[in-house]
Amino acid sequence: MRVLAFVERDLRKFSRNPLAILSSVLLPLVYLLIIGNSFQGTLKRLPLGLVDQDRGPYAERMLNRLRSIETGPGTIEVIPISDPVAAEAGVRAGRLKGALMIPPHFSKDVSRGTAPQVGLILDNTDTVSSATLQQALSEAFAYLKIDAIPVRPDVRTPQLYSVELYRKIDYDASLVPGAVVMAIFMGTMITGAFNLVMDRFLGIHESYLSTPLTKSDIILGILISGVFVTTLVALVVLGAGIWLTQLPVAGGLSSFLAVTLVIILTAMGLLSMMCVLLARVDHPRIVGLFGGFLNVIFYFPSGAVYPVESFPAWLRAFTKINPETYAVHALKSILFKGAEWRAVQGDLLFLLGFALVMLFVSTWTFKRRL
Amino acid sequence: MDAISVKNLVKRYGALSALDHIEFQVSPGECFGSLGPNGAGKTTLIRILTGLIEPTEGEALVAGHDVLKRPDEVRRAIGVVSQAMTTDLDLSGYENLDIYGKYYQVPEKERKKRIADLLNRVGLTARADDLVATYSGGMRRRLEIARGLIHQPKILFLDEPTIGLDPQSRRVVWDLLKEFRQNETLTVFLTTHYMDEADFLCDRIAIIDAGKILVMDTPENLKKKIPGSDILKIELDAGSDVAAGPIEAFSFVHKIVQEKQDGGAALLHIYVDQGAQAIPILIEAFQKQGLKIKSISLKQQTLEDVFIHYTGRSIRLEEGQKVNYFVGAGVPRRWGS
Repeated sequence: MRVLAFVERDLRKFSRNPLAILSSVLLPLVYLLIIGNSFQGTLKRLPLGLVDQDRGPYAERMLNRLRSIETGPGTIEVIPISDPVAAEAGVRAGRLKGALMIPPHFSKDVSRGTAPQVGLILDNTDTVSSATLQQALSEAFAYLKIDAIPVRPDVRTPQLYSVELYRKIDYDASLVPGAVVMAIFMGTMITGAFNLVMDRFLGIHESYLSTPLTKSDIILGILISGVFVTTLVALVVLGAGIWLTQLPVAGGLSSFLAVTLVIILTAMGLLSMMCVLLARVDHPRIVGLFGGFLNVIFYFPSGAVYPVESFPAWLRAFTKINPETYAVHALKSILFKGAEWRAVQGDLLFLLGFALVMLFVSTWTFKRRL
Repeated sequence: MDAISVKNLVKRYGALSALDHIEFQVSPGECFGSLGPNGAGKTTLIRILTGLIEPTEGEALVAGHDVLKRPDEVRRAIGVVSQAMTTDLDLSGYENLDIYGKYYQVPEKERKKRIADLLNRVGLTARADDLVATYSGGMRRRLEIARGLIHQPKILFLDEPTIGLDPQSRRVVWDLLKEFRQNETLTVFLTTHYMDEADFLCDRIAIIDAGKILVMDTPENLKKKIPGSDILKIELDAGSDVAAGPIEAFSFVHKIVQEKQDGGAALLHIYVDQGAQAIPILIEAFQKQGLKIKSISLKQQTLEDVFIHYTGRSIRLEEGQKVNYFVGAGVPRRWGS
């Protein structure tokens, strides 16, 4: 009865703060939309200066290739410039991402096969744009001298056929598991240990520390209420995320139950961890500071935004102990691949183990007196 | 068996002794008051007795249980009304009582009946379903007293129960406490820095200052202990240099306590017999010294006079609050006052 009374207290108080509920649902969705549209989108209309000092047939062909890229994929926007010095100045000033310099004897060099060269001045501080420009221009350069391209493939050359096991997932849809994990983290910020900190800040904790409530009663009470609220919020974010991104979800009821279990275990672990970290804190300002910091260091290395395989060794070591890594992996496996329990049992075991360890430590470190 | 028994109790914070070898006993059914200024050690004492902090040395038994060795038994036997308002603002009055009753595992039927009864007695039945955030300070305090009694404890601890309340609300709280004492067979331990509160409510009072009990007795006996039946308060002009000898030479003068006021004026508390007759004699004596009297008043002894008699100063001086340097000013760090 005592634990449930503590749960009841927390849930009643939370239900009377609709702004907290709303923000914990909306913020992860906003993150989903912003991050989904901020990373790895296709670059368009990169301004490319073109200085044509040749005006020969191959320069003309080059220009036509560039125009087709401009009107087709739209990767570049060709800006003719007469003066090479002005072109370079444009790149330095940031008005251009690059400047293509076709030298005076380019067409003759192509005809003779005497190492024709075209200069590309790049703003290499913007690595993504400069790589995209180089890629686009390489395509324009390919087969510049060839007048006809064969229709039938050459059967003597090895060919690569790709087989896609699962349905295509767009980048913004691939962020849905990350948004769910972010919702879980936000839930842990506004429930659980945060309530303990506010109680200490307002002096309210004296009232229940004077009662027969044990450390376990208090910790379990706030964990149960926190897991309940966080799970609900995360499921709402999951549903909204699937709808917004039109994510083609694999699996049925068993997948939904598996997802819910991942959410519950992750919430338990993170809530318990916050209880450990905030055990002695008595000002809500510290919660905000901690929360912002922890959100970054747990979320971005989790693989939610970018594959963990791209991380340096020290960061990959951190992902091994980051519970959000396992949560993201499990959610991706279940949602995108319709994975069975066995495929994610490693993730579930880690999340369970993490939750139990943190629960033990949080109860042990909780201060029963003032 | 004593309801509360304290022996050689010490609490230190670093080099500072908040409580310095305190000893006293409280009988069952008694209302015992701990009276002293802020920083005297009253809240530290009550927090040790209610299991919120540990003593450095000594022994404290509450309802027969050691506060260190059997804190859960102590907590089950006591109700606590803290100095700070600790009811949840986001819950209604009823919900606060109900949830608190569940902490003590009061069975549901008994709990509902008890809540209805307590709300009626504290006059909050009509506001039971309103959020505590809408309550006035007096209402909130009455609710907290009801909450402290939800599980019918043997001992009720109150830390400054009427601090911050208007005079009318204070009186309501006093009357409530008197009524609960009569009807609940309750032992009450309260701390206060209000003399009139201690005088009205308490069977016995311990005057505490700087962590020590200076004197302990019934209010009447404490007043009788100070010499002289009347107290003359005489305020002199700033810069006045009073020669106490000629004044003390009068046979009806028992004691003079001199206080410096803000602005340099001197305030004399003169303990006399038959104050009305003493006034013209003392006025003449001050005039002979060339002193100018700004004001003069005569009153019967109060506990404040008892406090001044034992400490040499009035109880109105307050300690500053400690600040947590890490988090920033405006965040008081309570360590027991």
